[in-house]
Amino acid sequence: MLSRVADSLFWMSRYMERTDGILRMLKINYASSQDDIQDFSWKPILKIFTFLNDESANALAHDTRGVLKYMLIGKDNDNSVLNIVTLARENGRSVQDHITKEMWQCINDFYHIMRQDKLADMIQNEDPISTIDHLIKQELLYFGTTDVTMARGEGNSFINIGKFLERAIQSTDILDVKFSDINYELDKITDTTYWKYLLKSISGYEIYLKTYRSGFEAKNVMEQIVLNEQFPRSVLYSINQLHRYFERLKNDRNQNEFHQIDFMIGKIKSQVKFSTSDSIINDGLHHFLNETKIRLFEIGNQLNQNYFAHA
Amino acid sequence: MQPRNLIQSYLVDMNTYDEMYNNSSIRDHYKNTVEFLEKLSIDDLNKKEEFAKRLFMSQGVTFTVYSSGEGIEKIFPFDIIPRIITSSEWDFIEKGIKQRLKALNFFLKDIYNNQFIIKDGVVPAEMIYSCPHYLREMQNFPVPYDIYVHIAGIDLIRNNDGSFYILEDNLRTPSGVSYMLENREITKRIFPYLLPQSNVRSVTEYPAILHRNLVSMSPQQNKNPTIVLLTPGIYNSAYFEHTTLARLMGVELVEGSDLVVDNHKVYMKTTSGLQQVDVIYRRVDDEFLDPLIFDPGSMLGVAGLMSAYRKGNVAIVNAVGNGVADDKAIYTFVPAMIRYYLNEEPILKNVPTYQLGKDEEREYVFKNIEQMVIKKTNESGGYGMLMGSAATELEIDLYKKEVLQNPRQFIAQPIISLSTVPCYMNGQLTPRRVDLRPYALCGPDGIEIVPGGLTRVALREGSLIVNSSQGGGSKDTWVLAP
Repeated sequence: MLSRVADSLFWMSRYMERTDGILRMLKINYASSQDDIQDFSWKPILKIFTFLNDESANALAHDTRGVLKYMLIGKDNDNSVLNIVTLARENGRSVQDHITKEMWQCINDFYHIMRQDKLADMIQNEDPISTIDHLIKQELLYFGTTDVTMARGEGNSFINIGKFLERAIQSTDILDVKFSDINYELDKITDTTYWKYLLKSISGYEIYLKTYRSGFEAKNVMEQIVLNEQFPRSVLYSINQLHRYFERLKNDRNQNEFHQIDFMIGKIKSQVKFSTSDSIINDGLHHFLNETKIRLFEIGNQLNQNYFAHA
Repeated sequence: MQPRNLIQSYLVDMNTYDEMYNNSSIRDHYKNTVEFLEKLSIDDLNKKEEFAKRLFMSQGVTFTVYSSGEGIEKIFPFDIIPRIITSSEWDFIEKGIKQRLKALNFFLKDIYNNQFIIKDGVVPAEMIYSCPHYLREMQNFPVPYDIYVHIAGIDLIRNNDGSFYILEDNLRTPSGVSYMLENREITKRIFPYLLPQSNVRSVTEYPAILHRNLVSMSPQQNKNPTIVLLTPGIYNSAYFEHTTLARLMGVELVEGSDLVVDNHKVYMKTTSGLQQVDVIYRRVDDEFLDPLIFDPGSMLGVAGLMSAYRKGNVAIVNAVGNGVADDKAIYTFVPAMIRYYLNEEPILKNVPTYQLGKDEEREYVFKNIEQMVIKKTNESGGYGMLMGSAATELEIDLYKKEVLQNPRQFIAQPIISLSTVPCYMNGQLTPRRVDLRPYALCGPDGIEIVPGGLTRVALREGSLIVNSSQGGGSKDTWVLAP
């Protein structure tokens, strides 16, 4: 496979995964903002998903429609859904002969939906949940179409490597920002709705209820999002999947390149897997999350060099 | 809604050949389709038109226009009414194009080798050496199977008596074939059942034939050569076509930066190292192909490609340097070439063409400029031309001055009244002018032309210019089985 093609598949997939994360986050936080919570602030979301500085984030933090507009269709926001879907499409467009026609049409349709003028109108005047749901469906259609139509070859591996690397980074980021909000004091008692909405925004609410019977505790929430191997958005699950798809790239022609990255993924995987919520707290949660993030970025950089010909 | 309205207001220009109407009766080969259309209401037809647009948009059959920093997706206008060609018309066209292409291939081989045609005084040497597309780099280089033109998109038009004329030979990187394929797919969707009951010949073989020919060009005669399609990239207006062809043939779509030349061999950069490339179907023009030989500023090509080509380590399709044969000034000599190389009379006629480099012909053209279209010999796409009938006096004066600066670069032709076909516009059928571009594929086993082609249509009323850059659209083109 061409290095450029692998690169584009990887980024197409990362952008689609990021879109999914943003949309879910927006939906649940919007619901939360309507839930009679005093002083609901969008600031953590803006910190995770945009490049706004503190001042601009503060200015926007209490303007729900403004945030939705900025995050969904903000042309001046590099991470708005509109801009990310455009990037996903540009990448997809340049590898149309490597993804299925159905996948291409799905991404292309999504792009055209994001560009419709009526979207701004819907955000301004209609129920935001319906609007976001409409977009999430496009995203789901993409995931389903990819799963059902994409050949299980090298291209599919790069798509999944991109997807799970992005997801691991995202989950780490979300935890870090959410806990920095409470100064990483896990026993600090806060409103349980804080944790409830966090879990809902990453589709982890139901699994939490089934795993922990004692109500919402910060430590358990952290444990689930970092360590639960059954939870599809946990850091560990994402790294496991990343490793699984990366291992498929092994062949006779690129052994050195392969082993270098295999080692890196294996190392971070062990570090996370053989942690416990207690050991993480002892080492410092922020330190742990930050280290994990740095390792994940390093893996991305090494992929660039070893596979995407960006030496 | 009265469906009869559809046809009743169809006004044919008396001095024009209409392909549907003949003396106010419908020609036989259009009857079935007109009958079918008359059963539909205006509402149905509007819906189908809308549906066609949506299909193009959703499939990304679009090109991007960049304005104020953001891309806007556009579709090439598509008219839903098919253009129909009878099987006897097609036989004639097919024979004519095969003959012409054969002669043009001989010409290219000759001009880049022994140049008998110059020595025998059929084509003057200065016509060749003054042509910017004549490339000395190709001199005395044996191309595989002596094939220079692997893919040709020869443009035909019909004059007011209905006879076919060759308008242009496109022998470099002719485009539009994806629209031949895509337009047919759209017709299948908007008019279910109509195709099989109309006895229309299929065009779907095109990618398979092209692929077979590309395989046979491989310098290393192994069963599984590496074939790539070289595109200028996603910002090229024909990018959709490049991806479509790559997908349909299952070959790798590459950009110049994906390739590298080492020791006169071409490689592509893959996730598991370099992989040698055997055949390049390039959609990048000659001048951008190799910055070491041609335009040194080109980012689209590959440094060292020409040396690999000349060493015979890679095949390039179409061959480099073909522009010398489809130059608009050389065009005049094609009938003579057919007589010279094949000892046959040309089947398809040339449009009479005046060389403005010749004093008496230029004087004649300037005198009769209202009936003339003047074109630059090395431009295409409808750019840089003057329609004498439509231009203002000032435009004519300015153009004349330009001509006089370099007369060799211009030719003139009498304005041909292109044939018309029905188009669906604003709830009724109206005649619009068309041309026809069939795609001929040349391989070691001969020339094949899939029965069909691209019909380009001048959508503006009265317009004679069909180029998409000048407000043209396209139609599905049906060739009927005998």
